[in-house]
Amino acid sequence: MDTQFAQRRRRDLIVAGCLAVIAALVPLFVKDVYVQNIMVLTLMYAALSQSWNILSGYCGQISLGHALYFGLGAYTTALLFTKFGVLPWFGMLAGGAISAVIAMALGYPCFRLRGHYFVIATIVIAEIALVLIQNWDWAGAALGIDIPVRGDSWLKFQFARSKLPYFYFALALASVAWLVTWWLEDSKWGYWWRAVKDNPDAAESLGVVVFNSKMGAAAVSAFLVAVGGSFYAQFVSYIDPESVMGFQFSLLMALPAVLGGIGTLWGPVLGAVILIPLTELTRSFIGGSGRGVDLIVYGTLIVVISLALPRGLVSVFSWRKEAAR
Amino acid sequence: MTALPETPLLETRGVWQRFGGLVANSDVSISVGRGEIVGLIGPNGAGKSTLFNLIAGVLPPTQGSIIFDGEDVTRLPAAERCQRGVGRTFQVVKSFETMTVVDNVIVGALIRNTKMRIARQKAYEVLEFCGLAARADKLAADLVPSEKRRLEVARALATEPKLLLLDEVLTGLTPVEAQTGVELVRKVRATGVTVLMVEHVMEIVMPLVDRAIVLNLGKVLIEGKPTEVVRNPEVISAYLGDRHAVGA
Repeated sequence: MDTQFAQRRRRDLIVAGCLAVIAALVPLFVKDVYVQNIMVLTLMYAALSQSWNILSGYCGQISLGHALYFGLGAYTTALLFTKFGVLPWFGMLAGGAISAVIAMALGYPCFRLRGHYFVIATIVIAEIALVLIQNWDWAGAALGIDIPVRGDSWLKFQFARSKLPYFYFALALASVAWLVTWWLEDSKWGYWWRAVKDNPDAAESLGVVVFNSKMGAAAVSAFLVAVGGSFYAQFVSYIDPESVMGFQFSLLMALPAVLGGIGTLWGPVLGAVILIPLTELTRSFIGGSGRGVDLIVYGTLIVVISLALPRGLVSVFSWRKEAAR
Repeated sequence: MTALPETPLLETRGVWQRFGGLVANSDVSISVGRGEIVGLIGPNGAGKSTLFNLIAGVLPPTQGSIIFDGEDVTRLPAAERCQRGVGRTFQVVKSFETMTVVDNVIVGALIRNTKMRIARQKAYEVLEFCGLAARADKLAADLVPSEKRRLEVARALATEPKLLLLDEVLTGLTPVEAQTGVELVRKVRATGVTVLMVEHVMEIVMPLVDRAIVLNLGKVLIEGKPTEVVRNPEVISAYLGDRHAVGA
């Protein structure tokens, strides 16, 4: 019984390690820059969705405002670098820390709300932040910030010629987000979060401080998403409010986890691997007609998957486990 | 130990609870001694559940105080009372449905054990004690109602309570299931845990409890040995109406 559980966790870790190694080898064979670009984005969204999943999947506090933390990460890094010459590596940590603090400050009033009211609050707050940034002249207002690129440098984390460094960083980020989730899943926090999601009253009666649990989940989740935002700013080297804090980012963080299996370890990875290439491919092959056919196809696929597998794509893999019981 | 063993484990002193114009509890003072099984009974609407929730810390009373283990816990939230040794079940079961049975119990065990491995081990022990070990890896959602009741008890026991509050755990069960429940409660008491149980099925509770407290219209009507309580004319009239009381 106990050993079975330990075995499953070890197996998850080994599978993840193998997948990471395989992913690391892919660029040796795939030289096409367009495909490499899609791979970077896939890994980035896998990391973002994994982080979103901590608050919304495990702890059950559905946020559709995580674009706020993504944007905060991007802006913190870009502003610190362009205005004060602070290296992006420190910017990343600063962005993460600021986001974690803001997530808790916002959580203080918002975690008193339950269900739909909480979701609405997250959307509205992210939209307010977007408008504020659009009107903040020092931060470039609606025009955004251009990060000057002066040659390839790990120190400044900018590369003009190759996508590979970005690829490996994105892979590392996705791995870290997965590992954090893996570790938290079998920790006091992991159990508390799932208990809070399933039944906050029962959780409270068992000594779980529901409010603090939510705050913890929000802080971890926001921190990791902000690091993703910092990475994105370096990757595209030009940011404006709409392109890092738009509502679509909130959706693109939620969708992979929801499609793959919300509140599961593998759901976000699986969802991102399928969804992000699909987004890019439908756009490049059937987009551009101006009629939005790509969005229709894309939307239809999402609806079909959610109808066929309401518990997410991971449920395809779990039927064998159920049968084995 | 700050509290002497002779002091009651739980005491409510002049507790009032008003919901707007409705008085659910008026001037309720009860005490529960260490190692006792006490039944809190009364007809529907007597204020049993309200009193139960006040003791568990779901809400603070409008007036009065609640003393647990020699400490005033009137203003403490539920989670902190659990920390001090109050465990409870819910009348309408509140399992963590998407989690397995053992994971449900681990949530309770974590308050006393920070190491996951030990919490897990503890959870299996409690499941064994409650006769749910065979169901450990099932999802809580897949349990039958009587098993869900037992899971509630298991989860609460995993928090290592001094006082276990049982909210109608025996109601709505078949006679055989109820008998298993009664035995479980006796086993719990044998481990040194004090039990306060709300029930309204008198014939099951009476043989089990050491003392019964009858609530009616928000007040303590009478308390005493179960055999005395059931013969009391006031209790009969509260349950069945005045006509029957006169006949008795």
